[in-house]
Amino acid sequence: MESSPGPLPAAELTERLRARFGQDLLESSDALDQAVVRIAPDRYLDLIRTLRDDGDFACDFLDFVSAVDRGDDGFDVVVQLWSTTRRHQVRVMVAAGKDEPRLPSIADLYPGANWHERETWELFGIDFEGHPQLVKLLLPEQFEGFPLRKDFALTTRLAKPWPGEETTGEGPE
Amino acid sequence: MGLIERTPLASIQPVKFLLNWGRKYSLWVMNFGLACCAIELIATSTSKHDFIRLGVIPVAHGPRQADLLVVAGTVTDKMAPALKRVYDQIPDPKYTISFGSCSNCGGPYWDSYSVTKGVDQIIPVDVYVPGCPPRPEALLHGIIKLQEKIAHEDIREKWSGKLTGAPARS
Ligand code: SF4
Repeated sequence: MESSPGPLPAAELTERLRARFGQDLLESSDALDQAVVRIAPDRYLDLIRTLRDDGDFACDFLDFVSAVDRGDDGFDVVVQLWSTTRRHQVRVMVAAGKDEPRLPSIADLYPGANWHERETWELFGIDFEGHPQLVKLLLPEQFEGFPLRKDFALTTRLAKPWPGEETTGEGPE
Repeated sequence: MGLIERTPLASIQPVKFLLNWGRKYSLWVMNFGLACCAIELIATSTSKHDFIRLGVIPVAHGPRQADLLVVAGTVTDKMAPALKRVYDQIPDPKYTISFGSCSNCGGPYWDSYSVTKGVDQIIPVDVYVPGCPPRPEALLHGIIKLQEKIAHEDIREKWSGKLTGAPARS
């Protein structure tokens, strides 16, 4: 088997992304030696395409697409990519907006994103534009609302409040 | 539906006893295993606990061959119609054991947006086995409770399919 270059350390990976995206790379950090980057929404597709096609990164595998409800700061979409050849990973965070959150779909770049985006759409109500089939995946057809949003009311909890201490903390710092 | 239901024969005590005795020791089980509890159900069917010695035969190839439905695990609102369908396909007389907190009442997911809070909202249940998950011994106890119930039931009423029966607790 042809040997591939090893994994890029998180700092090096971020550096190379910064060289290509400059100011559009809004934040970067590393978590357990894994690069975490926040990208401006209009460069989101460019970034994903670069991570996939550029030999420096070679992220050929999509781990997951999910989202975070940050309350007043709107929704973040989180995309985790993995390179099976170089064995490193990147986490991409991107703001999707607050009132009508939307982002372009990456289902055409990674077929594996198809179901993940459907799930994120039905649970958080984030519209993935250009998705080939944005219909419910896990929830029953007749379900109304987006249950993983913080403002979604759990009807059972209205009838019987949570009996213990709240363990969820105060939200994002 | 038929001979047994129409003939007064089944009300004669020895005949009733014999038929109930026969049925309580030949329960062909339909495994509706959905989550962690399903593993305990499987453990009950294997050699260590071995519910065949109580006359419970694992596992029916389809609902149409089954007598006993064991719902083991977390029923979601999305799964509920499928469960109802399986139940409806089981020919009378049929029995249901709700195995584990999840299928009894939602269990740890009591406040979830997707979990059905108790399978008895969809189908009638004969025996509830509590626990998260219950041990295999608890299912064996539940089966014995069910057998006690079968031993005392009125077969004509049961075979009419109209009876849902008061639930017993194990
Ligand atoms: S009752 Fe507990 S063990 Fe059983 S399915 Fe639910 S969570 Fe799993």
